[in-house]
Amino acid sequence: MAVASMEQIPEPVALEKRENIVIRLLRNRKFAWGSLIFLAIGLSAVIGGMAVEPAQRRTGAYPQKMAPSTESLALIMGTTTLGQSVSVQWTQAVPNSMKVGLIAASIGTVVGALVGLIGGYFGGKPDAVLRIVVDVFLSVPSLLFLILIASLLRGVGVTEMALIIGAFAWAWPARAVRSQTLSLKERPFVRVAKLSGMGNLEIIIRELLPHMFTWLGANFLNAFIAAILAESALSIIGLGPTRDMTLGIMIYWSLNFGAIIQNMWWWWLTPVVTLMVLFLSLYTIHLGLDEVGNPRLRSQT
Amino acid sequence: MSAFWKYLAGRFLIFIITVFIAVSVVFFVPRYLPGDPLSAIYAKLGNVGGGATSEALVAEYRQRFGLDKSLIDQYVSFWKELLQGNLGYSIASFPTRVSFILRQAIPWTVGLLTFTTLVSWVLGSLLGAMVGWSDGRSRVLRTLVPIALVLYTTPYYILAILLVFLLAYQWPIFPLSGAYTLGADKGWNLAFAEDVIRHGALPALSIILVSLGWWFLSMRSLIIAEKGQDYILWAEAKGLSRRRIFWTYAFRNALLPQTTGLALSIGHIIGGALITEAIFAYPGLGYVIYTSITRLDFPVIQGAILILIVTVAAANLIIDMLYPFIDPRIRFGGDRQG
Repeated sequence: MAVASMEQIPEPVALEKRENIVIRLLRNRKFAWGSLIFLAIGLSAVIGGMAVEPAQRRTGAYPQKMAPSTESLALIMGTTTLGQSVSVQWTQAVPNSMKVGLIAASIGTVVGALVGLIGGYFGGKPDAVLRIVVDVFLSVPSLLFLILIASLLRGVGVTEMALIIGAFAWAWPARAVRSQTLSLKERPFVRVAKLSGMGNLEIIIRELLPHMFTWLGANFLNAFIAAILAESALSIIGLGPTRDMTLGIMIYWSLNFGAIIQNMWWWWLTPVVTLMVLFLSLYTIHLGLDEVGNPRLRSQT
Repeated sequence: MSAFWKYLAGRFLIFIITVFIAVSVVFFVPRYLPGDPLSAIYAKLGNVGGGATSEALVAEYRQRFGLDKSLIDQYVSFWKELLQGNLGYSIASFPTRVSFILRQAIPWTVGLLTFTTLVSWVLGSLLGAMVGWSDGRSRVLRTLVPIALVLYTTPYYILAILLVFLLAYQWPIFPLSGAYTLGADKGWNLAFAEDVIRHGALPALSIILVSLGWWFLSMRSLIIAEKGQDYILWAEAKGLSRRRIFWTYAFRNALLPQTTGLALSIGHIIGGALITEAIFAYPGLGYVIYTSITRLDFPVIQGAILILIVTVAAANLIIDMLYPFIDPRIRFGGDRQG
């Protein structure tokens, strides 16, 4: 659903305005705060993960079912039924979940942009076929295919999971980029480029692609959220990378051991709150990006 | 052929192709991916029976599931059986047919989804339109925006977990799981209806709250976009009442993309509901898929997924067919990009 808001690519921003886009982004409060929170979560997990000894990851390394205490960083989020430290698990889960988002969103955005640009620019039969494929992909919930494939490929790792999710993430950007390409390629500046002897590939890369950067960035964030969502959804129903640790897998084990009815709130609440803060921060970054890339919105929000 | 019929034929083609691809994927993917769908059975039988008897049983299974025939024969008979509504047998509870298991689950999913989708879509669209139209002059309406934002960014299952904790564990107002009290007298009586509503309240609430946030935000931005249009200015200049401009101009025009949104997110709604059902052990298709995953019951998983994909595609087709009644441009053959 996150992508549904992006049906229309905003009008391209004039070139001279785009040059200082990095500065304008950093000056945007939503973008700055969102990025800060996102980076804080990611960095603290990575740094914490480097401090963790392999022995601390083992089952039974700590007393069982301990409520959070301030004795040590490993106990700050309590321990599980199997005597694992929740905070140690967290330092593995956050980077892994982010990895899933990063890989899947990159695949989806790059492949989607390519398909949309090439289909929209060249048209003809390949475009017609691609359009039907995109329509089919969009009319079927990818989670269903993901459940099917993940249930057959039991025991996938984090990377495989990310690749599978990414394979279903390109249809939306493909459709949006295609329709934007259709309208852009009729504009005078493309005709001028053609008359001045630019090749098709050069026109696509130098004339069309730059107009879509803001939109593609926003789409990347949406796809990032959607991928982490898909991973945790699959994990919760038992199809995740159960040998690794992700935020979804943390929820899976906590629910499996009945953490809610045993009042071990620290176990299930840690991944749940982390996911919510991650999503909110990504969504805030997205809003900031929208405001900078689409100035018409700024006065209204 | 008029533009209207051309449009319908195009949509119908997409529907047919979607169903065809879904069936083919469900058929071919298990056969080309590493891991025989029956390998789980081997392991299971090896544990229980051991030795020669298990091999004979596996051969029996192979024959019964048609795995000893050629791929094309299997594919053709797969289609034949499907068209007769036969989805094969469950592996985990063998002589039970997949269609029997699914038939028991479907009413729960359909009931839960129809109710929650209608409530959240209607409520979210109305609230969003009002807030967008009012320009944030009302303080009460203005506070709805951040609430909707938080709800929208919250995944279904997270809200479900929080609601279980708060309203079923901390303050046990609603039951933890299931769709009715086990052993209850199932039938069309008031006591059972009350029981079903009490059990369905939490799953329904978690789905409604999350999708409400989305419909609210999307309608709000649609109305804001409509407000800047020339025809609204013109209607104002004509001296029409604000109420009339809102209902017959802005709201009606914003309703079309909002309906498109509904069509596009039906798949997403179903996906989210599956996970919610799994968390609440609500006996719909999502819970069936969840239990089948733990029992490695592939025919049931495939059957459930197939039914869901066909349903989503059919729902999209129906909504596409309703468009012409909302948007006259399609009915009379205007241009429509995309």
